[in-house]
Amino acid sequence: MRIFPAALTAACLLVLTSGCAAGAASGAATYTDLDDQASQLRADFNREIGSVRLLFVVDPICPTCLRGLADMNRDLLRSTADPRLQVFVVYEPVLGVVYHIPGLQPAAAKDVPKAGQLLQNPNVHNYWNPTGAFGRLLSKAVGLRNGNHQVYAWDVWLIYGPEAEWIGAGPPRPLLLMRQLSELRGTQFPQLDSRAFARQVRTLLAQLPHPPSSAALANHAHP
Amino acid sequence: MTEKVRVLGTAGGALGLGVFAATIGACCAFPWAVALLGVSGAVALARLSFLLPYSLLGAAILLAGAFWWAYRPPAVCADGTCNAVSRRPLRVIVWAATALVAGMATIALTSW
Repeated sequence: MRIFPAALTAACLLVLTSGCAAGAASGAATYTDLDDQASQLRADFNREIGSVRLLFVVDPICPTCLRGLADMNRDLLRSTADPRLQVFVVYEPVLGVVYHIPGLQPAAAKDVPKAGQLLQNPNVHNYWNPTGAFGRLLSKAVGLRNGNHQVYAWDVWLIYGPEAEWIGAGPPRPLLLMRQLSELRGTQFPQLDSRAFARQVRTLLAQLPHPPSSAALANHAHP
Repeated sequence: MTEKVRVLGTAGGALGLGVFAATIGACCAFPWAVALLGVSGAVALARLSFLLPYSLLGAAILLAGAFWWAYRPPAVCADGTCNAVSRRPLRVIVWAATALVAGMATIALTSW
């Protein structure tokens, strides 16, 4: 009988001490404001054709999304600085937008740098879409549906191959889309598994030519 | 240990687990966790979400124990003259705890 209160106390301590540790994190992430057509993201995405590109769409104050970012960092991003892997993270406000509770505010731009600190990789590009229009754009573009119900795109994790090009209004269809949304349970989109996601990315990277070494670049610049 | 302590302990434990489950369940439905716990704290809270069904199961077991202590047949004295203490207040507490835990379980499961 005493194990439950003990487990509860331990869990609370874990949460509280982790919260305190947040203040010790350093290195604020920068971000770009994203318009409703996602123009900047589109330009950046197409500029990196030839690279494996990842697109994460999250709410910067959603704990499950943040856990997804932390898992991606642990299993993939913190261990590489490979320029052939480019990561685009779109932050949009979701929690508290539809069901507004007085005193509880939806995400704001100030929340983006804090969330962005979870990804320790030099090739991460952060965007803030305050209207949330990008979620609708992506949902239509990739067919995020459960039966006849169109599901708003957030807490989704996409992989694009080196050939993917953003031609139409919305992003192209990805090679893989994982999600954490309960609304998409039972659909073709698998639950986020950061390890499986990382394996898929590494497989794609292995098929790309290696970037020139820094020594080769130096020789090329100074013959 | 008196019946009062047993009933209050088990019902209180069930309430605690119910609150814990509701906290985990509601972490991702309402925008409070990052403001209160910070980014790392919210991540840690989300990592505890797997405990939700276990905490509800634990709460149910504790409530069953509370009902047992509140409703079990009283001990019969040898001469049959024992003046048993009324259990009515304890039973009210157990039912109130059950209602609260049910409410928190509803919050937890609908938000999860």
